[in-house]
Amino acid sequence: MAFELPGAVYSPQLLESVTYDIQQYLDWYRQNQIRAKVGAKPKAEPNHSDETVLVIEAWLDGKRPTIESLEGLVKHLKELKLPEIHVMLAALPNLSQRASLVDWLRANTKPQILVSFIADRNLGGGIVVRTPNHVFDYTWKQELIAGRDKLAGILKRV
Amino acid sequence: MEIIVIVGVALMLLVVVVVQSFQLKALRQFKIESVGKPKPVQVSGPTADELEAKLKVAYEAKIGEATQTFGTDLQATSKRLTEQVSRLTTTVIEEELEAYQKTLEEVRKVATQAIDQIHQAVEHQRVELRQGMEAELASEKKQLVDKFDAKMGDVVASYISESLGSGVDLGAQMQFILTSLEAHKDEIRKDLLNGV
Repeated sequence: MAFELPGAVYSPQLLESVTYDIQQYLDWYRQNQIRAKVGAKPKAEPNHSDETVLVIEAWLDGKRPTIESLEGLVKHLKELKLPEIHVMLAALPNLSQRASLVDWLRANTKPQILVSFIADRNLGGGIVVRTPNHVFDYTWKQELIAGRDKLAGILKRV
Repeated sequence: MEIIVIVGVALMLLVVVVVQSFQLKALRQFKIESVGKPKPVQVSGPTADELEAKLKVAYEAKIGEATQTFGTDLQATSKRLTEQVSRLTTTVIEEELEAYQKTLEEVRKVATQAIDQIHQAVEHQRVELRQGMEAELASEKKQLVDKFDAKMGDVVASYISESLGSGVDLGAQMQFILTSLEAHKDEIRKDLLNGV
């Protein structure tokens, strides 16, 4: 079965963070092996995020974790070339809102797409979707600018 | 030219009258002188008186005839002269009037041309002025529209930012956002499938 990123890992930053966590864990494991050989006191296990756990579980797919498999996972994550889009909103969305947007984007565009969120209060409302080739602007600001003729007509009537 | 000829004829007739007057006078003088002088030919008194009377009658008849002829000629000449003067006067007046009318017509034509030229110049100037004003107005209008367009984004952004403050409720917008995405789903997907 082909590996797929869990829905929780939806942005390039999260993917990088997960890769970093696993790499840190591998480094810690190797260093502790050396420390054990020389009789040194082992270091504490580094922290990792919930998303890292989800990615590792998806990668192992029920198999027993090994250093080699984790190294393979890091290599795979670093080599991933996933499409990215940037979503701009009037404010940063909370987790639930992010999940809704990511679910919709992955369901309607590409399943493995990565989404990064940016906030711009000047937009007022709506959404801007920026792909590598295009900017889809569905914001209130854009609606107001596009309706400048209406504004001119209203000004004339006043 | 005809006037000169007529005047010449009149003068000649006058000269003839004067000459005949002198001849008549000389004849009388000769008669007077002949009375005192010795007469080579002896004519009796009654015969002489008769001859003189006949001569006088003949002479007076001639004078009367000449005077009548002269009067008739003079009357005819005067009539002709009057007619000629009248004709000449009429011709001159007609010619002068014609020349005057011609000049007046030329002046009128020149004045009309001048008025037309002035009218054309004024019209041309008016059209140029109008075109210039229209171009200037269009340019100014375009500048204002461009300026308005250029500032429109900033105006809207500032208005939104100042109106909403920091209270942006994204939760209330989610339905609008998802509806917008749903409405443009095809173009976003097409762009991603083609571009990545």
